[in-house]
Amino acid sequence: MRLGPFEVLGPIPRAVSRPQKRAHNGFPGRLFVVEGIDGSGKSTQLSLLYKWLESKGYGVVFSQWNSSPLVKDTTKLGKKKKLLTPATFSLIHATDFADRTERSILPLLKAGAVVLCDRYTYTAFARDVARGMDRQWVRELYGFAVQPTVAFYFRVRLETAIGRLLDGRDGFKFYEAGMDLDLSDDPEESFRLFQGRIIEEYEKMIPEFGLTVIDATLPIETQQTRIRQIVESHLVKAAGLRIWP
Amino acid sequence: MRETYGKLLPGMSLSDLGGKLIVIEGTDGVGRTTQINQLKPWLEEQGHAVLDTGMTRSPLAGEGIRRAKEGNNLGRVTQTLFYATDFFDRLENEIVPALRAGFIVLTDRYVYSLMARAMVRGVDPEWVRSVFSVALKPDAVFYLRLGIEQLVPRVVFSRGFDYWESGMDLYPGYDMYDSICAYQAALLAEFDRFSEEFKFETLNASAAPQSVFSHLKIKILRLLEMDSPARLPSMLASRAYAPAVQEARLPCAAGVTAVDFDWTEGTIAADPGHSNGNIHGPVQEVS
Repeated sequence: MRLGPFEVLGPIPRAVSRPQKRAHNGFPGRLFVVEGIDGSGKSTQLSLLYKWLESKGYGVVFSQWNSSPLVKDTTKLGKKKKLLTPATFSLIHATDFADRTERSILPLLKAGAVVLCDRYTYTAFARDVARGMDRQWVRELYGFAVQPTVAFYFRVRLETAIGRLLDGRDGFKFYEAGMDLDLSDDPEESFRLFQGRIIEEYEKMIPEFGLTVIDATLPIETQQTRIRQIVESHLVKAAGLRIWP
Repeated sequence: MRETYGKLLPGMSLSDLGGKLIVIEGTDGVGRTTQINQLKPWLEEQGHAVLDTGMTRSPLAGEGIRRAKEGNNLGRVTQTLFYATDFFDRLENEIVPALRAGFIVLTDRYVYSLMARAMVRGVDPEWVRSVFSVALKPDAVFYLRLGIEQLVPRVVFSRGFDYWESGMDLYPGYDMYDSICAYQAALLAEFDRFSEEFKFETLNASAAPQSVFSHLKIKILRLLEMDSPARLPSMLASRAYAPAVQEARLPCAAGVTAVDFDWTEGTIAADPGHSNGNIHGPVQEVS
């Protein structure tokens, strides 16, 4: 194509902007994600799953919420200086997620890895909507996300989670407790109200996205056995993903 | 009443946003910054409070974007969202409060540039529109347009080849000249499409900067008097505004519509001999 005196290159390649339309099994890899409020024990379960998959010889990669090397400093700055509004809170987390999707999750799934994510789009759907963002807008914002093979939701009563969290540390962080929403001046009370809203959103998402519910009050071993059974059933046809023996 | 392009951000009330939101858009190298640097003191001279803002100037994300662009591993969706974060930080914390306080907000680029950059990178247009649908509709968008033949040399000879301005993330392996031609031509095509959809007022940026400035002044004066059209004749006839009107009557390069000013009626109309009539937007009737 010519434009004025310039020879213009051919058509621009289309980005894979809506990979979820192609369904997860369009890629050789598998994607398992864990969701739930803080203190639900999901990270413990995911790390046990990681060890097990690794011992079975799979190429396992772990991706954590808010961990993009390009974006996390900006998120940290926003939180530290309390610069974030519900909209920019939502967007900066989506930016972090986009970087991990483009640079790691998507190419790894194409390469045949088993990718494990601690928190996924559902975290954003729950938190951002609890902060007042439009439900539909947030879902569209994450339209570029790959649909997980299985999304586990760790269901726990709010009081149980709060008990677990307060055992392990001094108090709650500003945004984690939803202090930006002026629900209460007391961080613990604010946390309770905010996380209560988040649980409501998660509960609505169980049928909407077909989340797999795990009773997070059961013994750790019982939960892990159940999770491994489910994951294994999705790996039967993916034996080729094992990089050893 | 002000509007957005779709949804409303939580806590954002549109009812008391006085002020004027004026956007200067265009590809790289068209002289947006030069114009804004002249418009701001000019408006302040007339007694208007002015906020000027532009891409990557947010306290939240500006520095992060600059750092991310130092490498070459910023993906296209990530890029779009990082810029969106920067934009919405400025929208909520600068633009909206300024409009509420009755300021004129001059913004160097707006969501259109961000949308164009994402779309030429092959990001799903529907998705891009949805992300930016919570943006405020501006009062006016002045699109400084330069053909590709002039645009490329202006960018290259003023700043040299820049990795991102040359679209090298899109065309790895090509040399920077081929890449910048292809990239800027694609952007230009996107802007031209937006120009109709979003009713841009197009100005020919190949004219001398002073001529472009004069045209911008006339258009902005009209905009500022929309609320009280009865004042337009006396205002335009006043000493302060006469030079702008005079300058705008100077001959300018093809493509830029000459402005005819009827001193007796006090109306400005697009000269039908030069334009398709809508370059200036709907002609204001003054009673």
